[in-house]
Amino acid sequence: MILVPVTYKGGIYRHDEIIDLIEDLGGYIIQKHMIAQEVVLQALVPKDDIELIRRIGKPLTGEVTPSPLVGTEIAVVTMSLEIHHLPHASCDVAEYIRRFGAKTNMIGLARGFGKRISQMNDEERDVINEHDCAVYLLGDFETCIKHKFPVLRRGIDVPIILCGGPPTDVLKTLIDPPVDGYVGGVGRFMHRTKESEELSKMDEVVDEVTRVLDRKREVMAKDPLSISPARLMDIIYEKIDEIHDVLSPTPITVQMAGLRVKLPYDTFASLLRKTEIDEGITIGDLADVHPSRMRDYILLRIKPFSETNMVV
Amino acid sequence: MEAVEYFEVECPEKAGGDYYRHIADVVLLDHNLIRVIWKLHIFIDPRIPLFIAAGRTRKVPGIVKLRDFSDVNAREGKVTISIGDESYLAPLLQILWEKFGKERVEQPDRFTIVMNLSESELQGLEDLPVYDPSESLYKDLIYALQVIQPEGFKVRRQYYGKGRFYLVASEDTLPEDIEEIVREKFSLMGESL
Repeated sequence: MILVPVTYKGGIYRHDEIIDLIEDLGGYIIQKHMIAQEVVLQALVPKDDIELIRRIGKPLTGEVTPSPLVGTEIAVVTMSLEIHHLPHASCDVAEYIRRFGAKTNMIGLARGFGKRISQMNDEERDVINEHDCAVYLLGDFETCIKHKFPVLRRGIDVPIILCGGPPTDVLKTLIDPPVDGYVGGVGRFMHRTKESEELSKMDEVVDEVTRVLDRKREVMAKDPLSISPARLMDIIYEKIDEIHDVLSPTPITVQMAGLRVKLPYDTFASLLRKTEIDEGITIGDLADVHPSRMRDYILLRIKPFSETNMVV
Repeated sequence: MEAVEYFEVECPEKAGGDYYRHIADVVLLDHNLIRVIWKLHIFIDPRIPLFIAAGRTRKVPGIVKLRDFSDVNAREGKVTISIGDESYLAPLLQILWEKFGKERVEQPDRFTIVMNLSESELQGLEDLPVYDPSESLYKDLIYALQVIQPEGFKVRRQYYGKGRFYLVASEDTLPEDIEEIVREKFSLMGESL
């Protein structure tokens, strides 16, 4: 069964039927937003059943659209949280990627600004590495990007998408060794992106992120995960009651190869490890349970088949 | 930026210069400074690195005195000030409190201030300077230029006087001949510092 990431948008009336339907078909709800009279579901659903969901959702004014980034967590790295970069361009990019289903976290570096003086500390590096990929938003000058980028990429092992003011081909010549994605023409600007030309730039960013993550999925498919992150999320929701008391919009954030569980590590790590998935197999067998550098959350990294020799 | 008579961005990187032209445009518009600035020359060289913004302001309105926005009536040592424009009320109260003490300044309603003053204290009250627009203009202008400049340039020097202003900023110590460079930028505009 191939699961496809989609967004369902529809009225609040009888939306629980859609949730039940997706779950009965073997899909997973990753995130549910209620906005006034509207409900937005980000879900992974079986490819063959999309038509069925569309048909049942139609009388409820429901709409199903493909969202390639559902189930990913992306770091949007901005050089500082000063007025020079906020709310445009950093928030514009983070918000636009979110529309395609990704969970984006904005990471404002403490001392990322400047050419010679720019730095990144170990906490920032570790937090970025906890994501599926990182979108770096740099400035308008070639000289600065060339000079400061080696410092900012040090120790980062997730794919990097580099955005900056100079055109894409110029960015490519500046960076050595190359990074995974480039988007030119998205540097520092101080106005809201609302014209069609600017929005198409934002689309370019999304396309580049999608392309990079697709390539990552292809690599991962060669050695599949022992359990799908969405399924593991469901199991945790089912077996650990305390997760229902967490007030975050996503108590469990789904990543491509893991989960961020927003429960304190000290209290819940051993409990999580011992939680049974299926006939004597525990979460600890299939995933590494690490403390996250983000607050006191727990980070689960699911091991691939080659390490565990089982797929649940 | 039609209202600005001279506006140039000088930068060795063409694309970067064009972006900064747009940024300066948006920031000055957002801060309502377009009509105040007469000439503006921005120089950015990321290689050194150095940022210079130099320019001239249009004539700013003079100092606002008490008589400009209120009526002062003095009768037997009792002074009643009727405020016409409320926007100067806050700075006026600050000045009066400091001068006469809070307990002597009464404010029965929003537009009236009543005080008991002696003859000598009353002298020149109507000519009391309340608000200097050029002071806040200077602050606003420098703030806007700091928003325009690249963020990492933390070493700064700024100047404002005789309708001329400049802000220079860099990551490193400013070059010793910085004033010479600024003078050059002024001469490009047909001005002198």
